[in-house]
Amino acid sequence: MNRRMFLVLVMSLTPMAVRAADPAKIPARPEQLEFAPLAFEPPAAADYRHVLTDGTVVFLAPSKELPLVKLSITFKGGGSLDPADAPGLAAFTAQLIREGGTDAMKPTEFDEALDFLATEVGVSAGDTFTTASMNCLKSNFDESLKLFLAMLRSPGFDAGRLDTTKAQRLAQLAERNDDAAAILAREWKRLAFGADHFEAAEPTADQVKALSRDALAAMHQRIVHPGNAIIAVSGDFDEKKMLAALEKALAGWQRGPDAPDPVAPTAKLSPGLYHVPKDIPQGKVVIGKRSIERDDPDAIPLVLLNEILGAGGFTSRLMQKVRSNEGLAYSVRSTIQPRVTYPGDFRAGFESKNATVALATKIVMDEIRRIREELVSEDEIETARRGLVETFPRQFESKPAMLQVFVNDEWTKRPADFWKTFRTKLEAVTAADLQRVAKKHLDPEAMAIIVVGDWDAIAPGDLEKRASMKEFFGGKVIHLPLRDPLTLDPLP
Amino acid sequence: MFQLSRHGLRVVPLLFAIVAVIATPADAQQVAVEEFRLENGMEFLLVPRRDQPNVVSAGWVARVGSVNERPGITGISHFFEHMMFKGTDTIGTRDPAKDARFRAEQKAIRDEINRIVWTKQYDRFFKGEIDDPWNPANDTQQLRVLRARLDDLIRAQQGRGPGGEAAGTIVKDEFDQVYTRGGGSGMNAFTSNDITCYFITVPSNKLELWAWMESDRLNGSVFREFYSERDVVHEERRLRTESTPTGKFEEQFDAMFWASSGYSWPVIGWTSDLNSYTFEQAQEYWNVYYRPGNVFGVLVGDFDPAEAKKLITKYFSRLKPGDRAPPPVVTLEVQQLAEQRMIASGDFPPAVDIRYHTVPAGHADSYALDMLAEVLNERTGRLYAGLVEGRGIAAGASTYSDTRKYAGLFAVSAQARGDATPEDLELAWYEELAKLQAADVPDRELRKVKNRVAAGNFRKLESNMNLFIQLAFSEALLDWREINEGPAKYESVTAADIRRVAKKYFDSTNRSVAIYRRKAN
Repeated sequence: MNRRMFLVLVMSLTPMAVRAADPAKIPARPEQLEFAPLAFEPPAAADYRHVLTDGTVVFLAPSKELPLVKLSITFKGGGSLDPADAPGLAAFTAQLIREGGTDAMKPTEFDEALDFLATEVGVSAGDTFTTASMNCLKSNFDESLKLFLAMLRSPGFDAGRLDTTKAQRLAQLAERNDDAAAILAREWKRLAFGADHFEAAEPTADQVKALSRDALAAMHQRIVHPGNAIIAVSGDFDEKKMLAALEKALAGWQRGPDAPDPVAPTAKLSPGLYHVPKDIPQGKVVIGKRSIERDDPDAIPLVLLNEILGAGGFTSRLMQKVRSNEGLAYSVRSTIQPRVTYPGDFRAGFESKNATVALATKIVMDEIRRIREELVSEDEIETARRGLVETFPRQFESKPAMLQVFVNDEWTKRPADFWKTFRTKLEAVTAADLQRVAKKHLDPEAMAIIVVGDWDAIAPGDLEKRASMKEFFGGKVIHLPLRDPLTLDPLP
Repeated sequence: MFQLSRHGLRVVPLLFAIVAVIATPADAQQVAVEEFRLENGMEFLLVPRRDQPNVVSAGWVARVGSVNERPGITGISHFFEHMMFKGTDTIGTRDPAKDARFRAEQKAIRDEINRIVWTKQYDRFFKGEIDDPWNPANDTQQLRVLRARLDDLIRAQQGRGPGGEAAGTIVKDEFDQVYTRGGGSGMNAFTSNDITCYFITVPSNKLELWAWMESDRLNGSVFREFYSERDVVHEERRLRTESTPTGKFEEQFDAMFWASSGYSWPVIGWTSDLNSYTFEQAQEYWNVYYRPGNVFGVLVGDFDPAEAKKLITKYFSRLKPGDRAPPPVVTLEVQQLAEQRMIASGDFPPAVDIRYHTVPAGHADSYALDMLAEVLNERTGRLYAGLVEGRGIAAGASTYSDTRKYAGLFAVSAQARGDATPEDLELAWYEELAKLQAADVPDRELRKVKNRVAAGNFRKLESNMNLFIQLAFSEALLDWREINEGPAKYESVTAADIRRVAKKYFDSTNRSVAIYRRKAN
């Protein structure tokens, strides 16, 4: 009986399905489609937050999807802690913690043990944080954690691995001028933050050679301890057992003070037109200035403004004008990267064949001026705003990504209601707000233009004479030298 | 945070080679894929997953890549990837009829330009009168006039001509705008030697928007901006190939390595061809390769399969089946008879690349070749132990087995440390190879590698987009089931198998060597 009814139901549905396939039913335009609402509330860090008895904060997000466990420990401080005479020390220390075995195991033994368990382990230092991560099969968790903690608590800093890693680092230094994009990134940081600030500072070959085991050990002491750590674990585990395992793993580990906040750069960007030589058929350009701190009240309108200007992919103005209309570049975009404790930077960048570098630069400068002078249309604001609102949930989608947001927010003391109010604040931004922040933060006269490429081919501009490099800063160009890749001294 | 590299990946050589392996196939996670086929021949692979709520990674794959091209139209597969974002009669224009007239006028002029360049300018070039037949600086008066007229038409169509915006017909990048408003993210596409893949992540409630947009462009892309978009691809070529330290040399190495196969030309195409595609060639390519029978869709994420099938049926059923099947790729790679060697100097560190012809994806030996690569790679692999740490001559060394649809290669590369030369690295590799040919890989070493590959089988499932890409390659090159069946095949590889392939494919006559030296300043 049931079966028969089921069949009837299917049969009665079939004609509907056929009707649904009728192309006439397809709406003429995508705007005519109607969508079910999709409610999303950002997850609250407090729901995932735990504190171990020694005070260490742990975020846990269990999930049965795959038989894996991902654990990461985020330590405060990275390049920000480098001494003036040893840039790169924190990054190098992080690498050697991973490479150098433990006090009880030689590196090859240690690596073999991990690899046999199929456990992946990494340690790396960025500008302001150092992260150690472990990804293992849940069946191997206990054994993996033991090795992981042995490495973090008592790294071996094996002499042979120290030599090998130095040799690898020296080989990398030798490549410093090979890729124009790397030259551009380096020179931008030097101009924007000052060559001595940790964002820009890079080691010479001699400084790499001079790195000692003692220096690494001291940096390790400073960064890697529970007083300076926040832990995040996602994957297939039981919360109670995980907390107990972590308690045990951290037991007896001396807690030091947390690392100091990063020092703000003292350098000021000098506006102007800069050039660095490189023999390539394309000029690579950055146009930018220092910008805002993360918690600046203008941050949200500025993010929206930047979306409209150059961060919104094909929908952004720079992409439409420079790439889509004129075909002058493959990649063109702008970014705003606020820093937590000091003003970050704004950068517009692209690359174009030598003859059209000037034209593309002119178009970008014109668009920066236009977004300050003309109110942005409601339609354009709405498109960019919908994009940001609709993709807002994406940063919380995967468990590891969500936990990383919580860890960063905890370390940087992000205002607790930030994510909850983000969309409301975004909805409230007006065209006038956008113009106000554009005027305040995007003054083209305060920007530097850096061009890496073949100046003689770039300077005259395009065949049709639509633009030349003379148009910028009165044509006064500051030629920056290429730097010796090993000494960083200017090359003749 | 939102940085885009649209049309980003041109080549994805490693993904397929890395399709993972499992030590104990009994534990292997089986990916539950539902197949769904429309009457017009379009197939869909549906993988509902709940772990990442509210989003779906969605896309489709055209079974076409640079290997399907021929001299004269190299790079056209990749160029299509750009054209597919330029709209239809609905998306991308406010006046389709007038827009079509603009396109027809542009075509007439560009055909004339091409005709003149291919005859007169090529002739002047062959006689040594000009250095580049395509460079506008070498234009004749007639060409200058034609090029100016073409530019005027392009501007007028964009609303930047004398009639201003009102006279234009293009709604710029409307395809992207619609998705942006709809909450799409990561919209992108890539072209490889074998496949072209288009994808995006959309909120779960916007699946119908995806179906509308994708079926619209598969149904009626009009190749808008067919001529002006070429400038963008030229910039892409300059960016990826000509302005990178090794780009041009890698391209030459490919061209040297592959003798007869369609893998010899670059995915982005040779510059002269990039200038030369005609609208007819594009239309022909479209009619053959972008038909529902040659395209398949993949959905991975938080969606209801019944609802998805309804939407797919409603929207994708409008695609008309093609009237002919794509021609088979018939030219096989000829056997290499003698070692080939390329010596390059430039702004790069001393290094060596060594390649061997092997087998296509799915070949019985492909599994042992992948395992051989695994034995050599990673921190505990033989290259690190032998070249980096043992002999202390390499800063880094790695290898991969790249098995494509119609042929394959095994590649070893190493960068020199200190005073070591590329030749030192090359010799050291031959010594490591000889060991693999002389004795079986010990049990524990093989077990370790299998464990690693087995765990990778789970790790590859961690993100929806990663699984999407794996399914795209598996289905296009072999069968999506390979994602579930591959692990057992890798597990069954023995030390004897590895030794056998190490002997079979690594003769000196089957290898090509690129020596890279740093150019003195």
